[in-house]
Amino acid sequence: MIEAALLIFGGAVMLFGALGILRFPDVYTRLHAATKCDTGGAMGIILALVLMMEAPALVKLKFLVLAFLIAMINPMVSHAIARGAYKYGVKPKVVVDMYAWDNP
Amino acid sequence: MSRVTFYLKERLESLRQRILHERFEASKLPVWERVVLTWAVLFAFWIVISSSLRLENLAVGAAMTLIMASFMRDMLTEDIRKTGHILEKLLYFAFLYLPQYIVIMAFRLVESNLKVAKNVIFMDINPGIVKIKTDLHSDTGVTILANSITLTPGTLTLDVRKKLGETYLYVHWIDLKTLNREKAGEKIKGDIEEWLKRVFW
Repeated sequence: MIEAALLIFGGAVMLFGALGILRFPDVYTRLHAATKCDTGGAMGIILALVLMMEAPALVKLKFLVLAFLIAMINPMVSHAIARGAYKYGVKPKVVVDMYAWDNP
Repeated sequence: MSRVTFYLKERLESLRQRILHERFEASKLPVWERVVLTWAVLFAFWIVISSSLRLENLAVGAAMTLIMASFMRDMLTEDIRKTGHILEKLLYFAFLYLPQYIVIMAFRLVESNLKVAKNVIFMDINPGIVKIKTDLHSDTGVTILANSITLTPGTLTLDVRKKLGETYLYVHWIDLKTLNREKAGEKIKGDIEEWLKRVFW
């Protein structure tokens, strides 16, 4: 029961993340959708697989190592992409830009 | 007259920073504690990856991870400043601090997913880049704080600027509420910074 709920949650979150990449206006807001929805959806699916699988506990722990790696690497990569895009010159569509105030 | 008071204030400020730095340097962990902490982490990773509890496997893992921990000791434990017995430290971290962090981050991750779904459906975005100040100074602490900020609802870390004694983060905020630095910091960081200040400096 919990496994099915987690799988449905992960799939729905992934779907909304893909929709957000299509609908949001610029790079930075699209990165919001990509990072959060990928991390949350992948971790939901991994937890569902851990609960479903019939294996000893030490094998299940490998999936948790995978979840930990996803949770550490995904925000780092999004930070690198955002900073690289800003340094390259992609202008954000924002109300106020304090980063441009300090780097004229 | 006013120049003298300015000079005195500057001297006092530099002296305070010096005292802070000296105190942090003095509260560094000793070498064997660093080796033991790194060894515990590496040995747990070995057990999980090899996934067998036979005796020769454990012996080989213990020897290898001890050799690795003896010369990689500064990598993980450089920024931990906490006094107390080492066993107490390990138990506190494994059974109190880590579950607390995982629970906080799990709830905020679910909340951020729902918020992105809401933003996608209604498109009620008002983005802006704000600058907030943190009290953390170490590299590991700032890294974990920036990653946590990226996973909390509606925020994404753009850049970090570190000066002596103060650290600033530039955060892309999808739903801009306030421009005041303290209020924005309160809303963005939440209780994660309080948690991180107990382990890192």
